[in-house]
Amino acid sequence: MTQIHNVPSSASAPNTTATATAPQEQPIAPTIAVRKSCNPDGIGLSHYVLMDKKAAK
Amino acid sequence: MTQTCASRAAARPALIPVDIGHAVYAAVTDPDTAFWALVDKTRIQEEVSAGPLLNSYREKAESFAKELHALRFELTPSGVYLNPTERCNLNCTYCYLPGEQRSKGSHMSQDKLIASLARLRDYFRSVMPEGRKPRAIFHGAEPLMNKAAVFAAIDAFADDFAFGLQTNGTLLDDEAVAFLTSRNVSIGLSLDGPVAGITDATRQTWSGRSVHQQVLAAMDKLKGYGSWSVITTCTTENLPYLTQMVELFHAKEVPTCMLNTVRCTLPGARGVKPADADMAKAFFAAMDRTHALYRETGRKLMVANFANIVIGILAPTARRLMCDISPCGGGRAFFALAADGGLYPCSEFIGLPRFNGGNLHAAGGVEAALTSEAFRPVITRNVDQFSPCNGCAIRHFCGSPCPAEAAEMNGGMDKIGAFCDFYKEQVNYALRLIADGKANDYLWDGWDDDTETTFLMQ
Repeated sequence: MTQIHNVPSSASAPNTTATATAPQEQPIAPTIAVRKSCNPDGIGLSHYVLMDKKAAK
Repeated sequence: MTQTCASRAAARPALIPVDIGHAVYAAVTDPDTAFWALVDKTRIQEEVSAGPLLNSYREKAESFAKELHALRFELTPSGVYLNPTERCNLNCTYCYLPGEQRSKGSHMSQDKLIASLARLRDYFRSVMPEGRKPRAIFHGAEPLMNKAAVFAAIDAFADDFAFGLQTNGTLLDDEAVAFLTSRNVSIGLSLDGPVAGITDATRQTWSGRSVHQQVLAAMDKLKGYGSWSVITTCTTENLPYLTQMVELFHAKEVPTCMLNTVRCTLPGARGVKPADADMAKAFFAAMDRTHALYRETGRKLMVANFANIVIGILAPTARRLMCDISPCGGGRAFFALAADGGLYPCSEFIGLPRFNGGNLHAAGGVEAALTSEAFRPVITRNVDQFSPCNGCAIRHFCGSPCPAEAAEMNGGMDKIGAFCDFYKEQVNYALRLIADGKANDYLWDGWDDDTETTFLMQ
């Protein structure tokens, strides 16, 4: 599994020495990425739905 | 997959920015692998040009490409949609089956249905792993018009299939409910309006009689059962009432519903097709309402067609519905058996004879149909190969459904489906929910129990 915590680079990090008159920079929003995987077994279509894999077992 | 495709994905994965309408986040995707990430919208260029996101994605790109290729091209069928009769007691405006069949068609005899299931059982045993049951779903026209045969088949093959039944609900009496629920058959109903006047606009008997109250009564009978659902077909007639629809479903303790766009395969359906923007506005209002109801009560009403979009983003291989992937599931993950024994990629094609891949009981049976020229246009319809889908950043979250609509409404399999802009808006809405940490509120608890996390940044 790849797990990364987004660390701002020095070039883009908020300027902590900004003067009182400078506008406050917004913190960088953390990157979000998720991918999960399993064996595919979906057979539903728009005329029929069975979402839960366990429902029909 | 071919080595060329894997190498290309691994060698130069590129992330494409997508404005999802969020205050903080934009999406970046690699359409070739269905990879996505949400990044600070002020840093898009930095994220797509270098850095930890791109580096981590590059390590995974080849495996994601292989995973998506397997989902799109390497499945064998694990389900069948059975049409035990051509007849229906309703005459819905948008039905994909020709009226002549539904009003004057034939039932499949009980013996023929039993023989059909025996052949299907043998086929599935030859392609599915031991211990896993195929799904067999009795389906429209109205399967309970041939109830005796259907129920005999369910009992005869209880050990061989996981059964489902999609019905208009008008023939679902106490006896039928007791039979089906005692055998754990998944039951789907259909209702188009929160009140009779709206349902009646698209769903009535041949003589024009309302069936709204009968469907409500069937819903009451199923309350508390674990595996049932209701489909609402969204048309110009009920679009202003979708919020009331989900309120009704939630009050009736419906576990799962679908708010489907009308399938525009046959001309009658196109007469009630809503515009994409109108569909999006009404649909998202209804989705917002389901979320508010969940927050108020702690009980979810799953909107399955939208949940499937969310799952298709988070876990492409965990999707349950196979319409919004390309090629679609028709003729790959499942196929349909018509009442005359004809095999079709999907029930949506039963009214279109050129998609008949042969007869189940003829030489070759299912295998011959799956490789037939009749099935080929459906199972080879590939959004990577036609415009504008091949330039779309979200093409593997959408799949450009449905091939039947593309062929009949838009002029060919290399055309888009009926609701291109609506699908784009659904994906944007889903990505905004993920950005706001709300996606799980729209999915059933434990949806990812059988999954493995293969990429995580947050």
